[in-house]
Amino acid sequence: MERNRLLPSGRVGTGGGVETSRRTLHAVTQHGTGAGCPAWLALIMHQVEIATTRETLLDSPEMVLNMGPQHPSTHGVLRVILKLDGETVIDLDCDIGYLHRGMEKIAENRMYTMIAPYWDRLDYIAAVSNGLVWVETVEQMMGLVVPPRAHYLRTILTELNRIASHLLWLATHALDIGAVTVLLWALREREEILKIFERQFGARLTCHAWRIGGMPNDTYDDFEPDIRRFISNFPTRLDEYETVLSENRIWLSRTVGIGVISAEEAIAIGLSGPALRGSGVAWDIRKSRPYAAYADMDFDVPLGENGDTYDRYLVRLEEMRQSRRIVDQALDNLPDGPVNAKLPKIIKLPIGDYYHSIEGPKGEIGCYLVSDGTAQPWRVRVRPPSLINLQALKQMCLGHLVADVVAIIGTLDIVLGEIDR
Amino acid sequence: MITLTFFAPINFLDDLLLKFFSPETINNVVWPFIQIGLVVTLVAGWVAYATYLERKISAFMQARLGPMRVGPWGLLQPIADAIKLLTKEDFIPDKADRGIFFIAPYIAVASAFIVMAVIPFAPDWGIIADVNIGLLFVLAVSSVGVLALILAGWSSNSKYALLGGLRSSAQMVSYEVAMGLSLVGALMFARTLSLSGMVNAQSADSIWYVFYQPVGFLIFLVSGIAENNRAPFDLPEAESELVAGFHTEYSGMRWSLFFMAEYAAMVVVSAVAVTVYLGGWYFPFVYRFTEANGHHNLYVIVSLLVFIIKVLVVLYLYFWLRWTLPRFRYDQLMDIGWKWLIPSALINIVLSGLGIFLVQALNGWRGFKTMESISAGLNLTATGKALMIAMGLIGLIITGLLLSKITESGSSGFCQNRERQRPGLRFEIQM
Amino acid sequence: MPLVKVPKPKFIEKLKRFFMADLLKGLGLTLKYNIGAVTDSDSVGGKGIYTEQYPKVRPDVAPRFHGAPRLNMDPETHDTLCIACNLCAIACPEDCIDVLAMDVEIVVAGKPRKKKVLDEFVFDTSRCMFCALCQEACPTWCLELTQDFELATYSRAGFVWNREMLEQGRETVKYTR
Repeated sequence: MERNRLLPSGRVGTGGGVETSRRTLHAVTQHGTGAGCPAWLALIMHQVEIATTRETLLDSPEMVLNMGPQHPSTHGVLRVILKLDGETVIDLDCDIGYLHRGMEKIAENRMYTMIAPYWDRLDYIAAVSNGLVWVETVEQMMGLVVPPRAHYLRTILTELNRIASHLLWLATHALDIGAVTVLLWALREREEILKIFERQFGARLTCHAWRIGGMPNDTYDDFEPDIRRFISNFPTRLDEYETVLSENRIWLSRTVGIGVISAEEAIAIGLSGPALRGSGVAWDIRKSRPYAAYADMDFDVPLGENGDTYDRYLVRLEEMRQSRRIVDQALDNLPDGPVNAKLPKIIKLPIGDYYHSIEGPKGEIGCYLVSDGTAQPWRVRVRPPSLINLQALKQMCLGHLVADVVAIIGTLDIVLGEIDR
Repeated sequence: MITLTFFAPINFLDDLLLKFFSPETINNVVWPFIQIGLVVTLVAGWVAYATYLERKISAFMQARLGPMRVGPWGLLQPIADAIKLLTKEDFIPDKADRGIFFIAPYIAVASAFIVMAVIPFAPDWGIIADVNIGLLFVLAVSSVGVLALILAGWSSNSKYALLGGLRSSAQMVSYEVAMGLSLVGALMFARTLSLSGMVNAQSADSIWYVFYQPVGFLIFLVSGIAENNRAPFDLPEAESELVAGFHTEYSGMRWSLFFMAEYAAMVVVSAVAVTVYLGGWYFPFVYRFTEANGHHNLYVIVSLLVFIIKVLVVLYLYFWLRWTLPRFRYDQLMDIGWKWLIPSALINIVLSGLGIFLVQALNGWRGFKTMESISAGLNLTATGKALMIAMGLIGLIITGLLLSKITESGSSGFCQNRERQRPGLRFEIQM
Repeated sequence: MPLVKVPKPKFIEKLKRFFMADLLKGLGLTLKYNIGAVTDSDSVGGKGIYTEQYPKVRPDVAPRFHGAPRLNMDPETHDTLCIACNLCAIACPEDCIDVLAMDVEIVVAGKPRKKKVLDEFVFDTSRCMFCALCQEACPTWCLELTQDFELATYSRAGFVWNREMLEQGRETVKYTR
């Protein structure tokens, strides 16, 4: 304001180089004394003004890069705000909520049977697992005994869903790092699983797979041959992915030592699933609190050593092999009998609260249910593995390059439907 | 043998032109124009169908079919794409530097197409311009293409485009050095900078220089792929990191000009690789069965086919690598350029010089006869060739061993390098 | 920043690395796929190309598929099977079904009786999430989700199906090329 008063009106907007400032100096000395401001101060102020307005992007050592929500490799609508020095990440912040649909609030206004299809839309890559956590929570809270055949079928189909989810993770992770061909190979195997889902449940992605008390239908006619064919072909396909990626020097240089998180840090943040096991923490709910028919199954839990992206990659590949083993065992021992328990017409839960969690493909997915005795839940809360795994992003990314941020988002295997709910 | 009348029209065209122009005008003006027109249209078509080829080959590698809907087996897909791109809105972002934004794609296309002028597609009328410094011309003009990418990245007024432009400039500048150095070895054998001269030298010696220069060929291929921003070195347009790199903000025809420039540059680099290392149009026995029997035009056309097939093989290599390998990271890319390719190119120059010296010194020693002449390219006997090929293979191993000793001790990962270079970097960890 | 310890490679590993065995393995596999695609054969699945050419070749939809809704009719009398019991509308989590019933005077065994019959049935397919709860609630197997999956229309109003559309089915253009 004062500067404008000091300068002749024509000079204000023309600050452009040495010539102009010299002329301004002249103008200031002429008019400045009358305004009660020292001429040299006015001059310095003016020059400072010129310097700040002429600063460009290159003068600043840092650049803020807004990655997402429409970025191809933020796996949906995650927005990551990166502060970069050159291409090195020095600060990072996540902005979530672009896919918020208010699932937990919707569930407060629905009958217990109606909520299951909404749960499919949390982690839409692993809809079968999500459906299972809801129906098991309700069943266990009302003390319903589910027939063993239903338990076995749940085990088989959730493990197939785990394979499908991991295949999609592998596809997108490889795509982020640049191996496009693995994407389509992995999607081809996932397609086989989705076809089995379509024949069994009637839908491919959001299956609405389970009902409270069991399953909507018994298996279809070719259920067992279809799965047998898939699991006999699958190991060869896994070996093919490993041929292209596991020993490839480019893949190694992009994943080994990237996004390292130690076991203590992983526990402190609350990671679960392959992200936790990649750091070498032996924690798998299928082993520690067996649900469905996992208590009868014989399988190993793969663990990483270093907690880097490569270890998490190896852990997930091995988990697919173990899932195949579980499916094989469950098919061998599949009991006969009904797939549905007797249910009242309208399900009402006892007053109280209950927490149940299962080992989803992304990690521990849990459901906390508070009932007031009516036909609708009073409050439902989901423990979303993706949201909690995402908290490790900042710690993993600092000091790495932009390209590594993409690889780390891929290795955390997040689904925004579950983060935002 | 019966004279093949199928190829008569070219002579007929010559006769026709002689009625209107003097022989000098025909040689200096009319023929070049015909050649230029042919090459530009053919190469533009070739570029369009290179995209089709890439889509088909990538589809086959991924157990897909690729384009199938437009025409039989999708053969008209490039034409449909061209129509679509031409009729799209030409969108310029707000606050973009309009002049530079307009001009950048043209620089890219022009620099890629001008290089076509000096490439010898076939003998005789298959050569458009026989510049005696052809190889230097190729290197000089193709490096102008870098400018287009920098300008496009800068003028778009987008951070992704800026990062892509910076990446591409750094990448192309550093890989150009390795590319130029890798060609020196082949130049020692050919003793000329003219591209057709190099083919003639190879056919006179009846060998492809890839056998003498395996290291040089590998360096040239790798740096050529990097120079064209192709996977696994496609960092300037890495779609999973920088959305689309320098052409993020481009759309419609301007975007397709960048696309054409990329494919044309690919064709150019493969053509240069074929000319320098794979004998250009030269293929054993072609000359003996055609030109020696008096079928001159047949010779030219068979040579042209040989050249095109060789270029297609190199292009297939491009596609093959792209659809198999993951992408490098930026610092790793620079590592490869400066710590592996440039040193190995220098080692290659030294070893090639030693090899040539050895062959010359051995000539006439205890009745050895290694070379016949040295005037127009190195002309070796069978013994000399065997010796040279052996030396090339030994050079490959020596280069590898030396490099692994030199570089593996110094580069133990990016993290350490960064800490050494920038000890004062801030990390804002709030736990 | 923690660095990952990589064990020192053995001589054979160094040799493999020198000859780029890791890269060549992958390249060999993609070449195998390329050849397999041309001959349409593969060692595992038996076929080299998995593309389904959708509009040209109709997909093989499973019998249990949850697709477009349909109101089934009695195959002999062509009367609707719907008894206007409203169970589907109650079961629907998204409230996308409206059942409008009307009372009709009928004579049963000489006595006039009132009977509830279906007047109009509105199904909003744009809100439907194809969970098939309505199909399971239907006591007469009247409401059914069929294998028809092409539900796109040009307007929002087109997604709301009335009784006629639900009974007759919507005409979709089947593209063959």
